[in-house]
Amino acid sequence: MINMLVKKELALYFRNLNNIFLPLVFFFLIISIFPLVLGPEKNLFDKIIPGIIWITAILTTILTSNNFFKDDFNNGIIEIYLTSDMSVELVLFLKIISCWFFTCFPILIFIPLVSLLFSIPFQNSMVILLTLFIGTPVLISIGIFGSALTLGLAKNNILTPVIIIPFYIPVLIFSASAIEAVSTGLPFEMQIYILAALLILVLPIMPYLLKYTLGLSINN
Amino acid sequence: MKSTEISVNSATCYKNNNLIFSDVSISYNDGDIGIIMGPNGCGKTTLIRSICGIQALDEGQILLDKIDIKNHNNNYMDKIIYIGHKNSLNNDFSVYENLEYLSAFDSSSKINKINEAMKYFDIYKYRNYMVSEISEGNKKKVSLARLLISQKKVWILDEPLSYLDDTAVNIFTNLVLNHQKKGGITIASTHYDFSKNINNVKYLNMDPGR
Amino acid sequence: MNISKIANLKFFYTNTRKISYYMSFFVMILFIIGIYWGLFIAPEDYLQGDSYRIMYMHVPAAWLSLQTYMVMAITGFIALVWKIKIMEIISIQCAPIGALFTIIALVTGMVWGKPTWGTYWVWDARLTSELILLFLYIGVMVLYASINDKRQAVKITSLLAIIGLINIPIIHYSVEWWNTLHQGPTVTKFDKPSAHTTMLYPLLYMFIVFNIYFITVIIKRVRLGIYAREKNSKWMEEYTDD
Repeated sequence: MINMLVKKELALYFRNLNNIFLPLVFFFLIISIFPLVLGPEKNLFDKIIPGIIWITAILTTILTSNNFFKDDFNNGIIEIYLTSDMSVELVLFLKIISCWFFTCFPILIFIPLVSLLFSIPFQNSMVILLTLFIGTPVLISIGIFGSALTLGLAKNNILTPVIIIPFYIPVLIFSASAIEAVSTGLPFEMQIYILAALLILVLPIMPYLLKYTLGLSINN
Repeated sequence: MKSTEISVNSATCYKNNNLIFSDVSISYNDGDIGIIMGPNGCGKTTLIRSICGIQALDEGQILLDKIDIKNHNNNYMDKIIYIGHKNSLNNDFSVYENLEYLSAFDSSSKINKINEAMKYFDIYKYRNYMVSEISEGNKKKVSLARLLISQKKVWILDEPLSYLDDTAVNIFTNLVLNHQKKGGITIASTHYDFSKNINNVKYLNMDPGR
Repeated sequence: MNISKIANLKFFYTNTRKISYYMSFFVMILFIIGIYWGLFIAPEDYLQGDSYRIMYMHVPAAWLSLQTYMVMAITGFIALVWKIKIMEIISIQCAPIGALFTIIALVTGMVWGKPTWGTYWVWDARLTSELILLFLYIGVMVLYASINDKRQAVKITSLLAIIGLINIPIIHYSVEWWNTLHQGPTVTKFDKPSAHTTMLYPLLYMFIVFNIYFITVIIKRVRLGIYAREKNSKWMEEYTDD
């Protein structure tokens, strides 16, 4: 059965390739706006490019997870989740993972290219990649939780980000701190461990939390 | 087969501080067909959803085999299949894929019955069509086809007849009759009384603001 | 709904009118005493001069802003698990009060910052955490405002408040971490004006007054919340007719 569910998730993304490409294009679009606004001075970007990459990653995850349950809600599939006698948590877990895989993973693949554009040293760009790899699943999970809270209130697209961005702060701080540590030659393992701890904390709980939240918010 | 009883015990529900219905009581046993009728806004959907545990009642209980559904641990839905007025179909899947996907949420479903179910509702020719390409009536048939795939005893249906033509209504009525013969319970909300020729129907007329 | 629960709301509403009326005066007098004590009787700080006296507003407000969030989350939890109506109302009515405390703490913090640091705002750990707390409160309030069915809205905001409560220590810890990386030890004197007891007693007193103020306002707001929820019910009509 897991096979079938995975196949269905894959089909959902591959039949709408826009779902995969648009976040990537959006990411590059925002990244390339910064030099236009701030001027292309290398010294400046050496200092702020990790922050720019992270803020852009946040914007991307917000936009991809904002209306995560909208279609399922309009089609009535949320009702299926809630009236099922099977383990819906598994389905929700697959949905989180596939959302991350198809919207964030492509960005990770292109981080070396971004490093090239802004001439980020190899080691720094690897740490950026590592923090994004551990951090974005947490962001996506929190974003999906936000979209579950605001189920059926989609007329207000800015509501969900306003509610969930404060919850992004720990991930942001530790990621930024790891990147800063590596660029000043300090040890960064501690921050990575904390990020990993956040991931291990959030990811297993999230499907259960989501099911509970959907059960409440379906009556919004 | 063990007998099953679903009862609604003096249910009351409010929405936005307005009373929708109050003190509704009815009980269904093996072989019953329950029809919930009433004008728009009288709370048919709300009642149906509270029987399925999606919505909480403000007063009263829903009892399955004399136990409040809140006290059933997750096994409450293993006797019940719910089909809402939204069809629960994903537009990016074909008809067959949708039925396959939905059967993953139902422990009693038999995947090998999907084709049979589609033939029964005369939608087999659309099996590889995307759901977005077929008509509303056919979508409804697809969602009703789940009844044949699932082996559950209690069917709870919200507006199962909307968009259906007369032929389809007859097919559906026969299905419900067959289910009744097997001792199953059907609870459906509807505007259109499909039950004229059926015995053993329990009507629940919901007057607004009762 | 069992009868005791309706009675609960009714009991609260009908019995707190006079109490909340008198408490407003009582708390005002307590405030005046506290302000006089803090501004005139408490001794001058040898480092910060008179400017430290804003601590008597700032510190209790900052404590209460956190405490109110805890009350909001805990009552929200009780409301979700045991479905007690009055807890739902208390939970959501905490949000604006908590936001008010947070704003007071932020503004007084800024005013205090000017003589201490020479600038109104520094991205110091406490002020930043406080600012994030304000955003958490705003999140709860906008979520509440955007759901039409208010009884449904309370369930959702309770859940958000509970998740927020779990998050506050994590946020606080991470902001502290971030701060130690960027600021160094320059701000440690911020709320430690040589702990002399003659300075601490008025602070303790103000903390108690703020708590009484919180209770007064929450009673008033819960009464309003009960009115909004029960205005169509029979007992409310009978009560307001009298």
